[in-house]
Amino acid sequence: MAGAQTHRLGNGGLVDRSAPLNFRFDGKAFSGFQGDTLASALIANGVKLVGRSFKYHRPRGILTSGSEEPNALVELRTGARREPNTKATTAELYDGLEAASQNRWPSLRHDVMSVNQLFAPIFVAGFYYKTFMWPAKFWEAIYEPAIRRAAGLGRAAGVADPDHYDKAWAHCDVLIAGSGPTGLAAALAAGRSGARVILCEEDFTLGGRLLSDGGTIDGVPAAEWLSRTLAELADMPDVRIMTRTTLFGVYDGGTYGAIERVNDHLPSPPQHQVRQRLWRIVAKRCVVAAGAIERPIVFAGNDTPGVMMASAIRTYVARYAATPAKRLALFTNNEDGWRTVETALGAGLQIAAVIDARPEISPAHRSLASKGGFPVLHGSVSGVDGGKDGVRKIAVSLTGGARAEVEADGLAVSGGWNPAVGLTSFHRGRPAWRDDISAFVPDGAPPGMVAAGAANGDFGLGACLSQGFAAGAAAARDTGHSGIVGTAPAADDEAFSLTPLWHVAGKGKAFVDYQHDVTASDIELAQREGFESVEHLKRYTTLGMATDQGKTSNVAGLAIMAAVSGRSIPETGTTIYRPPYVPVAIGAFAGHHRDETFHATRLTPSHHWAVEQGAVFVDTGLWKRAQWYPRAGEKDWLESVTREVKAVRSGVGFCDVSTLGKIDVHGPDAGAFLDRVYINTFSSLAVGKARYGLMLREDGIVYDDGTTSRLAEDHYFLTTTTAKAGLVMQHLEFCRQVLFPELDVQLTSVSDQWAQFSIAGPKTRDLLREIVDPSEDLSNEGFPFMGVREVALRGGLRARLFRISFSGEMAFEISVPARFGDAMARNLMLAGAPFGVTPYGTEALGVMRVEKGHIAGPELSGTTTAADLGLGKMMSTKKDYIGRVMAGREALVAPDRQVVVGIRPTDRTRRLRSGAHIIPKGQTPGPGNDQGYVTSVCFSPTLDQWIGLALVERGRERIGEIVHAHDPLRGEDYDVELCNPVFYDPDGGRQRG
Amino acid sequence: MVDFSWAPRSPLEKALVAGVHGARRIEADVSLTEIRNFDLVQLMARRGKGTDLAKAAKARFGVVPPDAPKVVQTPDATLIWSGPDQFFVLSKGGKHTVRTLAPALSGPASLSDQSHARVLISISGAKARTMLAKLSSIDLHPDAFPVGAAAATSMDHTSVTLWRGNDRTNGQAVFNVLVFATFAESLWHTMLDSGAEYGVAISHSENLA
Repeated sequence: MAGAQTHRLGNGGLVDRSAPLNFRFDGKAFSGFQGDTLASALIANGVKLVGRSFKYHRPRGILTSGSEEPNALVELRTGARREPNTKATTAELYDGLEAASQNRWPSLRHDVMSVNQLFAPIFVAGFYYKTFMWPAKFWEAIYEPAIRRAAGLGRAAGVADPDHYDKAWAHCDVLIAGSGPTGLAAALAAGRSGARVILCEEDFTLGGRLLSDGGTIDGVPAAEWLSRTLAELADMPDVRIMTRTTLFGVYDGGTYGAIERVNDHLPSPPQHQVRQRLWRIVAKRCVVAAGAIERPIVFAGNDTPGVMMASAIRTYVARYAATPAKRLALFTNNEDGWRTVETALGAGLQIAAVIDARPEISPAHRSLASKGGFPVLHGSVSGVDGGKDGVRKIAVSLTGGARAEVEADGLAVSGGWNPAVGLTSFHRGRPAWRDDISAFVPDGAPPGMVAAGAANGDFGLGACLSQGFAAGAAAARDTGHSGIVGTAPAADDEAFSLTPLWHVAGKGKAFVDYQHDVTASDIELAQREGFESVEHLKRYTTLGMATDQGKTSNVAGLAIMAAVSGRSIPETGTTIYRPPYVPVAIGAFAGHHRDETFHATRLTPSHHWAVEQGAVFVDTGLWKRAQWYPRAGEKDWLESVTREVKAVRSGVGFCDVSTLGKIDVHGPDAGAFLDRVYINTFSSLAVGKARYGLMLREDGIVYDDGTTSRLAEDHYFLTTTTAKAGLVMQHLEFCRQVLFPELDVQLTSVSDQWAQFSIAGPKTRDLLREIVDPSEDLSNEGFPFMGVREVALRGGLRARLFRISFSGEMAFEISVPARFGDAMARNLMLAGAPFGVTPYGTEALGVMRVEKGHIAGPELSGTTTAADLGLGKMMSTKKDYIGRVMAGREALVAPDRQVVVGIRPTDRTRRLRSGAHIIPKGQTPGPGNDQGYVTSVCFSPTLDQWIGLALVERGRERIGEIVHAHDPLRGEDYDVELCNPVFYDPDGGRQRG
Repeated sequence: MVDFSWAPRSPLEKALVAGVHGARRIEADVSLTEIRNFDLVQLMARRGKGTDLAKAAKARFGVVPPDAPKVVQTPDATLIWSGPDQFFVLSKGGKHTVRTLAPALSGPASLSDQSHARVLISISGAKARTMLAKLSSIDLHPDAFPVGAAAATSMDHTSVTLWRGNDRTNGQAVFNVLVFATFAESLWHTMLDSGAEYGVAISHSENLA
């Protein structure tokens, strides 16, 4: 049997004693109940020490009961699911939970690194900046690795996250952050008026402070009002309540980010379910009812385990029936802190003393003290005697100078409340200072957002209910919903009187930012060294830069800075608030988009046929393309590719080229339109003919190329490269809609409508005659080079046939509606079987285009002109077109430009590699004599050697010259000869034959 | 001489496995049905001919084509808005193809066959909206997206045309998605992943919803 829950009350609280849960912390077995957090379960088991601090490795306990917790960070779960820096205060207990403390070695109780405390005088603010400056070269090799080993909180799992995350959208009229009295009242009003409402609550139980502080609403106990209200809201179909969901960011256009911890409360997500879900919520209005965060007071030893926020103690006692101390002292500067005394007494705890920093306390509290038999000390806590086992004694400086000691095993601290101004300040808002509560409150908010209740600085229960209700009703009205809302729930306001107190002088370390170990003296030092601006203070001391983003520390830090720099707190100002409000796992932002689903993929019409053939696929953009089709016995890709090339050159092969972009260009002005977007002329193209076209960008650089056919007077069929398909469509739409609205032309993407195959090789006609209806004339006369027409196929289908060639061979492209693409691949295999037809992939395609000197992606690099590519003659002088004027700029027509040329190694056996630089022979490589680089290479089975294309300065004038190829990346140097880029069939007889 | 058969093959032929995917329940809360073998023609008004196209379409279909993101149904065709002065005609059985529509409509409009360029997926079930909220930024609340509403939008970074068809006899909403054919398998898998926790009933059909 696990631990006995020695610190659990016999009754009360919102835990389910009939559902015990076993868990382990640092390997030790404990038990808790359904409804516990890890923190409340640890408290119920009397565990005080839960972690070691970041810099000094000081023993730390649990400070708060919410997501603002700076101390109680643990590694939750094990193995691949291990999650560092999980707040014990928000981690829901589940059966079998395993957690481990962080930042200690070898164990939490005996931590070697706690010797850092002895060196504390040197680990002050700016320590790294000052210490590791010299010698500079030590930084990368020695200092940084050593610091990285010692620094950091927790350990990442180090292996892939086995869980799934997803993302979703939600829409509403009124979004409400928080389910305390303010949020519930807002939801009631908005829901009753008929608005669509989403309420996000980060806790797993609804009610906010009502769960801990109770009260009376509409004359009934808060718990009764709560269940009645939740029942009413549950009956409203357009009110959606999302628990375990934190609103973490505010974005443009009324979009909000929220993280839902769907299954964090289970050991692992049930089958088919996600761990967390990222929500993008689009809301017309937002009511921030996120409440307030109680703030600590900075005094020596304020990080001793057992020192807790007063409101957190109320939560542990009232909500979780767990007692953090047997004999409790309270240190407060305000009326609200006293509520902890009432709760503690009610649960049978002893009160050791109340230390109240205010000059006066109310008669009611004075009589409570005498009835409870505990002293009220006017003054401040100046030190805590204790350690890893918790608080033992508390030193008090009494008003007037005397000292006192209080024996207690727990100290509740209340320094007042800070409204949660994060959400309202995310659009660079700066909160305003309110003197009566000594706190920053929202001063304006992003469009459509309003804060209410405690988040707005009004802490009383009555004020929360009425403000929340009014804000909910107004938000509903603003979005056009005017149903009857009824009356606001009513309650009394508690008294709130506060005397500001931020820092009590004393001996020993007094922590401002617990998580980053920033002390009051660090802030004083920063001020002395000139880092007085809050933004400098933050970065110099790292105040507020930990995973809690300074929720318990920022205001105290700048109050101390204000005091030492002689300014007021509002003059000192706040740092900029940025999302996320709580840490959000990167996995949640990625959602579905990881591993093989990182992005959408596109499959060609013959994809699954190619899979059956055993093709190897390559990712080109979003596409999966068949790269080559290995056959049994082939030892590497080169052998397969070489076979495919030889088969095409000597017989016939085919390749799925459906990935090319395809656009229907319709309309009476289609030809005129194409004349303006291409450098060459298309209006003169005859129906039934295809022409190669080249497009420039506005700046005169080549944009894209492809073949465009005229299918009818008012219908062209334009193709683009695979890579630019989407971009060219956008470009042409821009031209049509913006540049040339006077032209009557319509564009439709038909990329996915057609399955297109290139059939190439001297036996192409033989194959086609098998599959095309015998009445179709495929002879050179009946179907000349660059001819296009629709043909009938055997078996009844019609296809488009294009006599175009990218390989330099006798070739056609055949295209059928895409759902027939799979059948086409199978039928080409059947029709070509007598001729040894060979399917080929993108590698063989690439080899043949290099052999033929055709340009492709590596040459269309965004830096080349038409003339660079050897296509300058295509630039029409009889018409205007996009890029014409800019292409005439001096540097773009300079005679010494790098132009496309062929290369072959002087040593025929040498392999070429693209990327090598071209240097004049005999010169030492360097930027001064760099004359270009190799763009594309291949092993040419036809020439039985490696060949390539290169961009070389004045290359075309230098055919025959031997130059030097310098490849520093691979450490290769060799000579190559500049040659005609058309290695294969330069007069084009084969493709025209 | 070889006999060539030209059986059309859906881009989802391989990925679509009829049956139940994901959570096993008494009744799957999401149903995905691929509608196969439809005719889809894109019509775009020629310059300044929007009104003429609307008139010609009225004469041909008996209804005015939608001039806002909506669909208009006739007994044998669905006209789906796809942009200003343009729409799709979705139909079955060869009644409304480029060939049959051209005589009446190619004057005021350019026609482009899209029958093979898209895959049509019909989504319904108790959790259809919940599942679609993972894929689409469009508000599908009944008040915001009533029967006949349409959107040219994206899902999983993929362009789609989305519209709400007539409710099923059990009152459940039906959402239709036209996705580019080469993206269809990828989006299909994303839909299965998104719906797995609710249970997905998978089928295909020759009938338009």
